[in-house]
Amino acid sequence: MPKSRPEHHGNEYSVRLDNVSKIYKSGEVEVRALEHISFSLKRGEFAAIVGPSGSGKSTLMNILGTIDKPSHGEVYIDGVATSGMNGNELAEFRNRELGFVFQAFNLIPGINAEENVELPLMVNSAPEEERKRRADELLTRLGIGHRLKNNPTQLSGGEQQRVAVARALVNNPALILADEPTGNLDTKSGEEVIKLLGSISKSGNVTIVMVTHNPDTTKFCDKIIYIKDGKMEKQEVLK
Amino acid sequence: MNLKDTFWLSYTDLTEKKVRTILTIFMVVIGVAAIVALVSLTTGISYEITNELASLGPTSILISATQSAGFTPADTAAIASLPNASTVIPIATGSGTLFSGNQNSSVTVIGIAQENLKYIMGGNVSLYEGSVYNDTIAPDAVIGYDVAFPSTASGRQVAFVGQPATLKIPNGRSTNSYTIPIQGIAKTYTSALIPIDTAVIMSMPAAESLLHKTSFNEILLQAKNSSGVTPLTNLIADIYGSRARVINTQQLASTAANITGSITLLLVVIAGISLMVAAVGIMNIMLMSVMEKTHEIGIMKSLGFKNRDVLGVFLLQALLIGIIGGIIGIIVGTGASYSLAAISSSASHSNTTSTSSPPNGFAGGGGGGGFAGGGRGGGRGAVFVGRSPTSSGSSPGISFSPVVSPGLIAEALFVAVFVSVLAGIYPAWKASKMQPIDALRQL
Ligand SMILES: Nc1ncnc2c1ncn2[C@@H]1O[C@H](COP(=O)(O)OP(=O)(O)OP(=O)(O)O)[C@@H](O)[C@H]1O
Ligand SMILES: [Mg+2]
Repeated sequence: MPKSRPEHHGNEYSVRLDNVSKIYKSGEVEVRALEHISFSLKRGEFAAIVGPSGSGKSTLMNILGTIDKPSHGEVYIDGVATSGMNGNELAEFRNRELGFVFQAFNLIPGINAEENVELPLMVNSAPEEERKRRADELLTRLGIGHRLKNNPTQLSGGEQQRVAVARALVNNPALILADEPTGNLDTKSGEEVIKLLGSISKSGNVTIVMVTHNPDTTKFCDKIIYIKDGKMEKQEVLK
Repeated sequence: MNLKDTFWLSYTDLTEKKVRTILTIFMVVIGVAAIVALVSLTTGISYEITNELASLGPTSILISATQSAGFTPADTAAIASLPNASTVIPIATGSGTLFSGNQNSSVTVIGIAQENLKYIMGGNVSLYEGSVYNDTIAPDAVIGYDVAFPSTASGRQVAFVGQPATLKIPNGRSTNSYTIPIQGIAKTYTSALIPIDTAVIMSMPAAESLLHKTSFNEILLQAKNSSGVTPLTNLIADIYGSRARVINTQQLASTAANITGSITLLLVVIAGISLMVAAVGIMNIMLMSVMEKTHEIGIMKSLGFKNRDVLGVFLLQALLIGIIGGIIGIIVGTGASYSLAAISSSASHSNTTSTSSPPNGFAGGGGGGGFAGGGRGGGRGAVFVGRSPTSSGSSPGISFSPVVSPGLIAEALFVAVFVSVLAGIYPAWKASKMQPIDALRQL
């Protein structure tokens, strides 16, 4: 069920961060994981976030993904401010607007590939045939149509990550967040996943934010955001 | 998320850890089976007791002499004139041994007027074979079913209508021997006060002659109505004081009800404790599951599953455990209670057969012994269930069938589900409240 984005979301920016800071406090110690981050991404843009380990990339992704809250500042996704929403509204929002691809794949091990992809459609009780049709179609498009009934533990890392990508795409999200999606993959599978994300970015008006260590993986990107010590160093527009 | 998918996720999760799930269900099974078995057994026992008591009628009062002087017709006349008194039935009782074929049985010798037989035989006299005796001095007898078909002869008939048998009755130091023509064989009667099945019943004059009595030692009195029973009982107890023991079926029934009631309560408390243990176990196991699933819960939440979806999945698991455990528990408990009842009745059977020692009266020991003499001499609880005048120290067996009522099944299932869901609430709530980011960080 390909759905069109609602009209009121016809905002110029798909993602906009306004002066976002994240401070972790544990006792006396304060970790300023993010400080005054502001940037925006247009619909359909493919952005890479690059920075050394511990610079706050994952923290930024979690905040973009509304599974973590900024200490200060505001995150707008598709024109919607996320700070005012409660847990249920955020869950609903994530289900509708966001797709996650994690470094560790984060598939549910007890169910098969097809069922993993169906999960986001279950939230709103999509009919089963519809769910299966959509999951099968995506998995086939991503080249693992022959692994539908396999559990994640029976799949290679590359295959698992494709399942994760399919799961991220299944609800036609506005924004896909990929935190080091190739981190657990060999070079070849890594490249394939990057290529996949690149083609997704080109084919639709899906915005993609990807964290990466590897400069080679930025070749499909439109923009690179450099982060160091929780601060945004620079923004590089490639095309 | 709809119920079907919630169910699917719950079920998938439960089947993933089969052994753990089976053990959790097993805890519920034990608790429920215990409740079902204990309640159905005690209900069965109290039904049986109530039935035995009912066979005497709710208006029966038994007056037993405690002194060898016994009662005379003057007593019956006096008692008959009391307010609320209706029928007054004199009964002479004693004990003896009946020899027939190559078998002997301990028997209760009962002397009662033929027309009064119906009062001790549950309202109407119904014989297996033969006919009743005449009210003459001739010791023509109706014998109880167990006397004709003793369990020692494994149900084979040893005494026959029209054939004589030898009745030996202790008389001081010696034993007198009499030849008794068997006139009839009674059907089996379960009776609270008077052990028909193991009796040799004859006319009053015959019994008095055989037992060397000039008086009778029991009076079965019928009150006019059931509300008159208690005042009449009290009045007679006042008149006779220590010379007689007065007991009525209502007292027996309420005593029995009290006893079975408190036994039931005790057993249900025990069963309840095992269910509480099950509840703690379920909670423990579910908390462990929730901990293990933390990362997956984080994934689900990042995909947009709401708190109530997560809550639903875990609560449904608890519910499934309760339902499955409850159903299996009901089946196991029913099976257990029927096997126990079978064991108990076969034990009571062998209890009867093991007894061939000389009898020492009904329930209350030798001299002046009466039917309802529980608590005196070597008295046992035979008042309630005394079916055989055994002198062995073991309690008399009782054969009964457990009562597994639809109400009990519904209650047991409800309790199982209630306890499981109650135990599941906290773990499920804990799972549902997890912050997605915290949950995702747990690996
Ligand atoms: N829950 C937390 N509590 C306290 N400090 C935290 C927490 N999570 C992250 N941090 C700190 O915040 C900083 C940024 O962490 P983050 O995980 O965002 O880094 P990163 O850029 O993703 O690193 P990597 O490339 O190694 O994944 C780090 O110094 C980290 O120690
Ligand atoms: Mg990181």
